[in-house]
Amino acid sequence: MSDYDIDRVKTGIPGLDELIEGGFPRGDTILIAGKAGTGKSILATQFIYKGAIEYDEPGVFVTLEEPPHLIKRNMLRFGMDLEALVKEGKISIVDLSPSKEITPVTIGEYPSFDLSGLQAIIMNHIKKVGAKRVVLDTLSIMAYKFRSRDILREEFFKLTAMITRTGCTLLLTSEIPANAQSLGVFDIEAFLASGVIVLYNEKISDTSRSRSIEVLKLRGSKHSSRIHSMRITDEGIRVWPGEISPGH
Amino acid sequence: MNNEQDVVPVEEEDDRIEVVLFKSDTCAFCPRAEEVVRETIDDFGPGIFKLNIINVSENPELAEKYGIFALPTVMISGVSITGIPEPEMLMKMILGVKVMSKKKSESK
Repeated sequence: MSDYDIDRVKTGIPGLDELIEGGFPRGDTILIAGKAGTGKSILATQFIYKGAIEYDEPGVFVTLEEPPHLIKRNMLRFGMDLEALVKEGKISIVDLSPSKEITPVTIGEYPSFDLSGLQAIIMNHIKKVGAKRVVLDTLSIMAYKFRSRDILREEFFKLTAMITRTGCTLLLTSEIPANAQSLGVFDIEAFLASGVIVLYNEKISDTSRSRSIEVLKLRGSKHSSRIHSMRITDEGIRVWPGEISPGH
Repeated sequence: MNNEQDVVPVEEEDDRIEVVLFKSDTCAFCPRAEEVVRETIDDFGPGIFKLNIINVSENPELAEKYGIFALPTVMISGVSITGIPEPEMLMKMILGVKVMSKKKSESK
């Protein structure tokens, strides 16, 4: 590898690496955006699972939305046993979902806080498993948890920088609100990341929908500018690099 | 009063109300929040509150356990305030908890 080559992190999504010169640039922040039901969480979980299983890269999956038992159950249908990897210490699933009963009910918020609590929690797990990959699923939920959007925006920059400074490659998921033009509820999601991947599940006829994937940007990489077919198979998400989505 | 401890198991005979302040080494707002909390509970006199200060930089597991992302956060009896609390708000929160605990002890 020459000095000019970028070290790549295999995505673990069959077909996707071919669209992006072999993988995500190591240590970058990548945004996975899409409307509800487009497969963002599956893609992000597969990135962590395959990283640990196939590439010997431990990972941390931070869930802000779905409780871990449901994530584990849902991934088992693709043959991905997350619990086994947790037990082996190869991955950590950090439960910050709203379903935690012990979490206090917030009755007041003043615009004088930072996210150093979240930072400390994530950094602790990165250290514990020696993580090379981190997923934050999903950033959008923070908009419902806190009112002070300006603080959150600033804090997201600090948080992503702190995680990637450890050498980890970070995937953020973001839900595109219905009828929205932006890539998320904060309008700054695309600026947080050096790469943006958008997932679609478009209606193509009265009776069918078509899944597809687009690499919107990936700094330092020549990437496909087409929208490619993607399917959720029995083995997880798969991309067909040679197939252009019929929905576009 | 004003005892600083990382984790204090609630003893059965301890009737004091537990006030928990989550802070970190890097949080710029936390020292002021701590001052406000100490001043407010000091106004009630000794023997009413037990202050637990949890430094998340040293104890990230406790922040995870309670799902505390933002600092400073003050937690009393299952409710919380994020940011530097106004003393009035803190007072309302404390009084709410006191009323609840009084009702609880009366119904026993």
